[in-house]
Amino acid sequence: MPGMSSGLNINDPIVVAAFRSALLHQGIAALLIFAVLVVAWVAIREWRPPGAREVRAARNARATAAMTAEPGWRQVLRIGFGLLWLFDGILQAQPAMAVGLPSQVIEPSATSSPDWVQHLVNWAGTAWSYHPVEAAAATVWIQVGIGLWLLFAARGPLSRAAGVVSFGWGLIVWVFGESFGEVLAPGLSWLTGAPGGVAFYCVAGGLIALPARYWRSSLLARFLAGGTGVFLAGMAVLQAWPGRGFWQGTFRGQPGSLTSMIQDMASTSQPRALASLVTSFGSFVRAHGFAVNLLAVIALAVLGLALLAAALPGTGQAAQRQEAAEPASAGQAATWQAVTRQASTKQAGTGQAVAGQAGSGQPARAPDSAEERGRSGASRLRLVLLQAATGALVALCLVVWVLVQDFGFFGGLGTDPNSMVPMALLAVAAYMAMADALQPAEPQVPARAQAAARVAGSSAPAAAAAVTRVAVTGSATAAGLAADSTAATVTGSAGAASAPAATATGPAAAPAVTATGPAAASAPAVTATGPAAAAAYPGAAASSAAGPADQAATVSPAADTDTDADTNRTDNANNTGGTGPASPSGPAQPGRSWRSRIGPAALAHSFGIAGIRTVLSASAVGVIILGVIPMAAAQASPSAAPILAEAIDGSSAPLHSAAPPFALTDQNGRHVSLAGLRGKVILLTFLDPVCVTDCPLEAQEFRQAGMLLGADARKVELVAVNLNPLYSSTAYTNAFDRQERLANVPNWLFLTGSPAQLRPIWKNYGVASEALPAGSMLGHSDAAFVIGPAGQLREELNFDPGPGTAATQSSFATELATAARTALGSS
Amino acid sequence: MSSAAGKSAGDTRRRAMARRAVAVTAVLLAAVVAAGGCSSTGRRSASPAQRAVSLPLVTSVAAGRTTWAVVPMGAAAGPNLFWELFALPAHGSKWRLATPPDVATNGAIALSIQGSQSLVAGIHPSLMLHFSPITSTADGGRSWATGAPDPGLASVPDALAITPDATRLMALDRNGGADVATIQRAPGGHGITGPARWTTLVSARALAATAAGRGCRLTTLTAAAFASSGTPLLGGSCGRPGVAGIFALAGGRWRAAGPELSSLPATLRQRKVQVLRLVRTGSRLTALLQVGSGAGASLVSAWANEASGVGSTTVASEMNGGAWSLSPPLRLAGLTMTSSSFGRSGATAVTLARPGSAGQHGQYVSGTGSLWHELPALPPGRTLALALPAGGDVDALAADGSILTAWQLRRGTRWVKTQTSKVPIQYGSSS
Repeated sequence: MPGMSSGLNINDPIVVAAFRSALLHQGIAALLIFAVLVVAWVAIREWRPPGAREVRAARNARATAAMTAEPGWRQVLRIGFGLLWLFDGILQAQPAMAVGLPSQVIEPSATSSPDWVQHLVNWAGTAWSYHPVEAAAATVWIQVGIGLWLLFAARGPLSRAAGVVSFGWGLIVWVFGESFGEVLAPGLSWLTGAPGGVAFYCVAGGLIALPARYWRSSLLARFLAGGTGVFLAGMAVLQAWPGRGFWQGTFRGQPGSLTSMIQDMASTSQPRALASLVTSFGSFVRAHGFAVNLLAVIALAVLGLALLAAALPGTGQAAQRQEAAEPASAGQAATWQAVTRQASTKQAGTGQAVAGQAGSGQPARAPDSAEERGRSGASRLRLVLLQAATGALVALCLVVWVLVQDFGFFGGLGTDPNSMVPMALLAVAAYMAMADALQPAEPQVPARAQAAARVAGSSAPAAAAAVTRVAVTGSATAAGLAADSTAATVTGSAGAASAPAATATGPAAAPAVTATGPAAASAPAVTATGPAAAAAYPGAAASSAAGPADQAATVSPAADTDTDADTNRTDNANNTGGTGPASPSGPAQPGRSWRSRIGPAALAHSFGIAGIRTVLSASAVGVIILGVIPMAAAQASPSAAPILAEAIDGSSAPLHSAAPPFALTDQNGRHVSLAGLRGKVILLTFLDPVCVTDCPLEAQEFRQAGMLLGADARKVELVAVNLNPLYSSTAYTNAFDRQERLANVPNWLFLTGSPAQLRPIWKNYGVASEALPAGSMLGHSDAAFVIGPAGQLREELNFDPGPGTAATQSSFATELATAARTALGSS
Repeated sequence: MSSAAGKSAGDTRRRAMARRAVAVTAVLLAAVVAAGGCSSTGRRSASPAQRAVSLPLVTSVAAGRTTWAVVPMGAAAGPNLFWELFALPAHGSKWRLATPPDVATNGAIALSIQGSQSLVAGIHPSLMLHFSPITSTADGGRSWATGAPDPGLASVPDALAITPDATRLMALDRNGGADVATIQRAPGGHGITGPARWTTLVSARALAATAAGRGCRLTTLTAAAFASSGTPLLGGSCGRPGVAGIFALAGGRWRAAGPELSSLPATLRQRKVQVLRLVRTGSRLTALLQVGSGAGASLVSAWANEASGVGSTTVASEMNGGAWSLSPPLRLAGLTMTSSSFGRSGATAVTLARPGSAGQHGQYVSGTGSLWHELPALPPGRTLALALPAGGDVDALAADGSILTAWQLRRGTRWVKTQTSKVPIQYGSSS
């Protein structure tokens, strides 16, 4: 009956089954992608020509040497947000997501926002609703893919690309899924999730995407910590802003803003214990709203100011020193800083101050003036402040996450764990970055050493000087030259001076390496700086010899055993412009065109020498593409998927009988009969011209079906018969046509007649109508019929339009057009 | 020397960085605060051109042998709110549900009464119905016939008017204009039938451009009625203080036909006037005016001294100025009118409520020369409509969900419950 439609259930079994089926199929495809790529990788590695393995080892060594070690804050962001994306992807696979996300999550989030935001968000919601299964499945795989990509790709361009994609997708979700985090709506509060959880994903993505030369930038560290401080301070101001309902637990008998939020969260489906906990806290806030808000304001303000104070310029002595002795390029400076910091880290771990002595003949550097000692003390103080603020912030985030945001992902339509977990991750990352910046003073890099480092590789003595300086700062540096996993195991062991690599680096380097000891065990890496390597690893040696010194200096003590194919390619490309010959078996020989470098053979080669992380990252990209392609293909269609109509009304029923005749008057007063329409397919329905709900929707579905039919519309008549015995004059069918913009549709007929004429037709077609009391519109059944050109009934469609959204209307129109085409085709 | 220079350069750089950091911090802080502040306090106000006139639609009118009342029932808002029409026959004691059938009344009902048991009802647009079905009854609501649909009635209680001889209808539409349609008696005498379409009588803009409109600085049309002679009358809101915007189409021209307000206190004469109602009951035309706005607003009832059979030009002339009698002003003191009701002789009753408060007050004025009387505390009910049936009684209809309770004022001092009815509202039928 019109008006009694239940709409489209978010757990509609037809849509849920289709969603599960899509996930299953795409999941199998995703596993196949992983399997095929891994098998291909293993196969190519195993079937490579003799010598290729050595080439790979050399390339790995060189590529590793070319990469800066990933700092801790980046690891936290990459792994943390990788896991979050993965978790979000899994949440997106909940059964209700396909239908429920636009209507229950996306559009409600925009209701308080300005009109233009609502318009934008509703547009996105409609686009999703047109193809809910494809959209929901795509979201699952995109987010799972991004998560895996972030987890697998630790360094190199592929890792940065993961950051870019994470930022981009986060931005899409933030704009369309979270209505700009509702920052334009009243009631903005950090406690309730402002500025939107995904905004933090975007920030993290952007930071992960930064080039390596910024990883150790003290400015970046201050920006991170200071930005967090400013954000928290701003949120404190907002939280304290009067008139926003946060100071009251209740207001005029109604729950205050925070109470209301907590009560809403507590009412979602979740474990009973948790619901009880959150409910209790809601009651507490209701009773002590002022105190809770005061506490929140103070906490936010204090933490914000503490982070801001810690981030003020001039607090990082290492940074100061670096600034004072700023090298020629920021990239080199960062690289050098990385080296020194790694060294100092290792020093701390092994207590090998002797390394410095051995390398330079000087005692380990200590604060040598009162001013420096003062600075060092201030730095320690700020570090403690930062540590305390970060710890408190993380604790606050966890408390708010549990008690206010109720974890954020319960209820069947939770899309993410809300804002507190990403916020805490960013806070920890900011702390780690700042802690690096606030490290105790490092020895200065003399300009000549930097210059030497810049030219290392082209001049053995200069390289030696550079390596010597590295050694001064700690033993690990040389160990870091090792590209192989053995580097870690040999770090700290001494007396490797006899390693061939040591001799290969030239006399000047030998003492340094001898002093640092462990590096020598990783001969391949060390040989990268000397000509001796050329004998055993021609490609590596040649390219290393041509490589810039900062590559040699930017070695990692925790060097990954893996390298990225992209990195290899980049290196190869760089090296082609250098002075040394490239590997004879490699694809990146000088003078080779880009076409040859991306040819199947070259790609296969690159693939074969890539590390497992690269292969897995490529598989993750494949998973994203796997999700995107079906969605893109679906969105290319202007009409909605017919599954919506099927979900609302079930399948149509085939008929095989003569259509009952009718002879009535159309909206223009002309006599129209079924016999007169013979030769055309008729889409027939029954409408009430003064209906306030379903009939206008059904009329629009007919109109859209006519448009979808295109040229075939000439062979189809769209016919409605009046169902209202009281409002039966052509004045009303005309008024209805004007209202529904049907007056100019050439093949539209709204037929009417006297009640005596109409009643037999209703009866013959099995359409019931009923006068309802007390101001209700006429009750009637919703049905549509397909009548073939010969006047035979072909099909009956249940025609309750459901919720009447643009998507469901389009879906019904698609169903009608398809039925008309079928009737045309079989005639 | 070079060390000092380097230190100086470093200091300069640090200071510059500090300034930048402070500036960025300030900008970010300001942006955050502005975003939050704006979002928390921002209210978008509609421009005057977008302002739609909307007046309380709860009403009752006594005419002929029947008293009619329109009240909302069901839900408080949304698709489960249904407006119901009730009829009380003369000398009857029970109100009867008389809502027109086969059409949804989610959007209120506009009434125009003609004759003893005849009534024309216009259904206000609602939900997905954008035009207004017109239906009529000649037997107190037992059977109905349909007239031509109106393009869409304005959201005011007097959006529909019928001539005393039942030959023409006039309607105020949502675009601010007035339309007319010639009508016929339906076969068998059950109501009216109409032509295929309405024609525009005058738009608010065109009326505002006439000499009468300029004299009032007409902003919007709020009520339509016919004089007993059949002269079209339109009421509206005037931008000029002290002018009641009632216009009559006489001699082919729109003329000012509103009352002089000179009898009002001087303070009120300087206030703007809005015509809330323009109702003809029998031979009496009654206007309900709001003088001023906000806490200082007052209600004034005005009665036209119409003479049956007088030519239209004369009527307009007579009705202008001294042809009206005014009630004393009723100070609203911050209350707003929630319903208005009219008896046969022009008696007027209103319910008033303070915004946000559940309690309502009733005020009553019996006619020319009378004072406003406050009625005893009104009975409880989510919606209340007063009714002034024959015999000088005052009824109160209290609607709450599906329950209608009728109360009668006895001896002017206490309300006695006379009827409780459950109205068979079809929840969900319009959703």
